[in-house]
Amino acid sequence: MKKNLKGQILNIEEIAKDTVKLQFSTPLENILPGQFVSILIPGKTLRRPFSIAGFVKSPKGSAITVLFKLKGEGTNYLKNLKTGDDIDYLAPLGNSFTLPKKDEKALLIGAGIGIAPMLYLKKVLNENSVENFLITGFKNEKEVIEGSDSTVIGGSVIDSIQDLINKFKPQILYSCGPKIVLQLVCDIAKKNGLKAEIAMEKVMACGIGVCRGCVIKLKDENGVKNASVCADGPIFQGTEVIWEN
Amino acid sequence: MGKLDILRVDFGKFSLQNPIMTASGTYGYTDEFDAFLEVKNLGAIVTKGITLEPRPGNEGRRIFECHGGMINRIGLENVGIEAFIDKKLPKLQEKGINFVLNIAGKSVDDYVNLAKICNTNDIKAIEVNVSCPNVKSGCLEFGTDEKCLYDLVSKIREAYNGFLIIKLTPNVTSIENLALAVQNAGADCISAINTVKGLGVELNFNGVKVSKSFVQGGLSGKCIKPVALSMVKRIKDTVNLPVIGLGGISNLKDMLEFIAVGADAVQIGTENFTTPNIAEKLVDELTEFITIQGFRDFNHLKEELRK
Repeated sequence: MKKNLKGQILNIEEIAKDTVKLQFSTPLENILPGQFVSILIPGKTLRRPFSIAGFVKSPKGSAITVLFKLKGEGTNYLKNLKTGDDIDYLAPLGNSFTLPKKDEKALLIGAGIGIAPMLYLKKVLNENSVENFLITGFKNEKEVIEGSDSTVIGGSVIDSIQDLINKFKPQILYSCGPKIVLQLVCDIAKKNGLKAEIAMEKVMACGIGVCRGCVIKLKDENGVKNASVCADGPIFQGTEVIWEN
Repeated sequence: MGKLDILRVDFGKFSLQNPIMTASGTYGYTDEFDAFLEVKNLGAIVTKGITLEPRPGNEGRRIFECHGGMINRIGLENVGIEAFIDKKLPKLQEKGINFVLNIAGKSVDDYVNLAKICNTNDIKAIEVNVSCPNVKSGCLEFGTDEKCLYDLVSKIREAYNGFLIIKLTPNVTSIENLALAVQNAGADCISAINTVKGLGVELNFNGVKVSKSFVQGGLSGKCIKPVALSMVKRIKDTVNLPVIGLGGISNLKDMLEFIAVGADAVQIGTENFTTPNIAEKLVDELTEFITIQGFRDFNHLKEELRK
């Protein structure tokens, strides 16, 4: 069940250009891949949502890792925090990726900072002995975040996907990144008759589904229905999302 | 006197175990905040605004954060009254959560039908949204024209016997005339304020190429508190109805300011997003404040604040 929690920063470092890795302590015993946290920024009205990029369970104390790009006041505030500083966060929020069966193979596609939930998903897949491959794309060398099986620098990660599907023969695609990348991943999945699960992003207010600030449209038996990215998502099936401009 | 009794607010037809309520649109329909606090310990929650038919809400971006607050243009996305009565109401009753049903409509008939349904289902209190800035037809008109408002409230009054609260918009020239219309039409209480009309502007530059987006909606949060305090005072100076104050309350001091200018209870809105357990925290802090300062109870504090 989601909670409002306090943690201490265990580690904070710049791991690529304008990219920060933040690890903080948590009393939580379990987090599912695809879930997110919402961090309080003192002085700001809205908390900032971050995908969970890592979760380590240990008897001495568990830890959550998030990755973020420096974008505005919130991320710049967090960047300047130090080891030992307090973090006020809501977690675990949102739904999670559906894990494939053991004999299935998963192709993970991350674009830019969208690598974050892919890293934790990959860890969980490995722990569950699900064969997987993570490919990520970054604008340039300086922005590369480590942890992938293959990295595309400069070009589009999408251009490599069909080849990878042919060679690796996955049953399911997972992806996180800008909307255009997610949309293309869904198209490729459909063309190849594969399942796709994608992690969506939208400006959020409450983070728990009550304010209806972050809704997207999904296909429904009756046509169209609303879904909140924060509570019904952030993970959606590739076939159910209606893409808006 | 028990801990809860010293905070009791009695409106006659409706009472609150304490003066802390949560504002419509920030708290869902029932027990969604149970993850963070005991919702039944609050004075009351006000449900998300409910219309006759379900509504999908507005297209496009709905949230814009600004200094000291946020702008929303949700557009009254809600499940509709039928689904509320079938699915949400039993949960509220089962959990013993005191609530006010917030209703909104596009026409007088909509409001009257909603009021009748509330009456039939023995809903103890309703808050009428005559002031949503995010829905095009009707709504805001009722809240800005005193004749329209008087007619509307009179007709709702005829259809509904419970505790009738009218939520006023600050986006008017004379809040006094609107408050008088509400009183003359027979409502039991005024809540104020709804959001303030605002515009969020986002500009992005890529070399000389500019992309921009505008979010026109309702401004809420800490930044609107002075507007809300002013409106509550002006309303209280004009009418004899009880007033529920809201707009930018995020701590005990804010709350006391609202009581001092005439509020008999308060609602917490946007701060629920920042600090999900704020409402329960305020119940505790108010209890402690009353005890430590030596007031007999909340009414005593109110009397002293109003002197």
